[in-house]
Amino acid sequence: MSYISASNVKFSYDEKGKNVLNGVNLKVNKGEFVALLGHNGCGKSTMAKTLNAMLLPKEGVVYIDGMDTSDDEVTYEIRRNVGLVLQNPDNQLVASIIEEDVAFGPENLGLEPKEIRRRVDNALKAVDMYEYRTHAPHKLSGGQKQRVAIAGIIAMEPSCIVFDEPTAMLDPNGREEVMRTIKTLKEKGITIVLITHYMDEAVLADRVIVMDNGEILIEGAPESVFSQVNLLKKHSLDVPQATELAYKLIGVGIRFSKMPLTAYECVDFLEGVLS
Amino acid sequence: MIRDVTLGQFIPSNSIIHKADPRVKIVLLISFIVLIFCAFNFMSLALVTAMILGIIILSDVPVKMYFKSLKVIIVIILITSMLNMFYGTGEPIWQFGFLKLTLSGIYRAVFVTVRIILLILISSCLTFTTSPTDLTDAIERLMKPLKVFHIKVHEIAMMMTIALRFVPTLLEETDKIMSAQKARGADMESGGLIKKVKSMTPVLIPLFVSAFRRAYDLAMAMECRCYQGGDGRTRMKTLHIHRLDIFCIVFTALVITGVVLCDIFIVPII
Repeated sequence: MSYISASNVKFSYDEKGKNVLNGVNLKVNKGEFVALLGHNGCGKSTMAKTLNAMLLPKEGVVYIDGMDTSDDEVTYEIRRNVGLVLQNPDNQLVASIIEEDVAFGPENLGLEPKEIRRRVDNALKAVDMYEYRTHAPHKLSGGQKQRVAIAGIIAMEPSCIVFDEPTAMLDPNGREEVMRTIKTLKEKGITIVLITHYMDEAVLADRVIVMDNGEILIEGAPESVFSQVNLLKKHSLDVPQATELAYKLIGVGIRFSKMPLTAYECVDFLEGVLS
Repeated sequence: MIRDVTLGQFIPSNSIIHKADPRVKIVLLISFIVLIFCAFNFMSLALVTAMILGIIILSDVPVKMYFKSLKVIIVIILITSMLNMFYGTGEPIWQFGFLKLTLSGIYRAVFVTVRIILLILISSCLTFTTSPTDLTDAIERLMKPLKVFHIKVHEIAMMMTIALRFVPTLLEETDKIMSAQKARGADMESGGLIKKVKSMTPVLIPLFVSAFRRAYDLAMAMECRCYQGGDGRTRMKTLHIHRLDIFCIVFTALVITGVVLCDIFIVPII
């Protein structure tokens, strides 16, 4: 059975209102890196919150590792296993010292002080922020703050982390730092669900899921999803710049063996064509 | 500029006073405050003063900082000592209309002045040598027995922690909003006091809106990290009473005994 398994999830914020989620079926395997795309208001953030029992579906069920999110008994077990990193790094940090903030999660789990210390040190090392452990959060850059927020989740030793537009408020350097951290987490075998606006981030995923109007529009490997340029454009979604360029070149008769997703792939291919 | 605001007045160092357990420091501070008001003659006052000056030297905080904290209350010291000077009883040494200067009045003024100065010095010493997080931590632990009276000790401490965390963030935000409003032509410098206060409205409203939004986000982030209130929660940093703390307690106890003995055997002056 898949690690995350959501079937026919419907959700609306108020009783009579329009459904934000309109029957989403989502399956994510253990260790997989999935990117969730979609324009503003398509329900992707709402979907993220149903994955760690912050929101409960109005209809349908969400299973995390076989546990039903609507079961009160396992709510905290689910939240420990599925960490959620939010958009604004400033609003996620609780304490005024980095290491104490990272310790917040494990402290809530009621662990032994020694074990908390070990986890905090490991988590800070994993995001490369160990030497800042006694600093105050407001003196850090956005990217550093977001990495501390990620460390705060890692310290709970989750098996899955959901990132809700973690780079939306960061500068290019910060985005790069956070994406590098996400990649190392994926290598450690943590299941990753990345919600993003940036197509070049989605390209890194094993599988891309595009949402529109509270439903899943298309899903598949990045190459196959982004090659459907027309469909994506119709739903006012972007494709990576390299893919867009290739798409336009195809229009004037240049043949591509495979849709390029990153600038490097595109350069390589164009070099081949030109020489 | 506004970013460099230091929270509390903590000055990091490695002195004995810095290393002492924050709980012990708070308890001792309270006993010192009581002690300061228990010194009724010059001998005991001198003893307390010597002790507090000793602590200040040990605290390894620039003396300049202590003077700064005294500067704030200099007016209060002047007014109270003046009042006391002319409120003494007994034979007047000097008289001008209804103002009577007596010996007991002068003594009283000296005592009040020294007491207020000592009070400020010793309490600033606590904030100079203890980080705000340590302070909140110590307060949480010291107040734990109050749970019996259904006081939500953990919640109060959590609120203090979050407040400390967000003061710099909100200051920065205020700065940004003020710049943004100035860029839109808001005038915040000219006019009298009332006009200035009124001109803060366009800063305060966005600031409050954003603070509420932050609070909502933070609450969610805390829940995502399994926060369920104080029950069943452990702490990474545990406080231990070391030999140094025991030494501090014993030393203070000795000084207290000294002051009490002085008070008993020497005739009180005031």
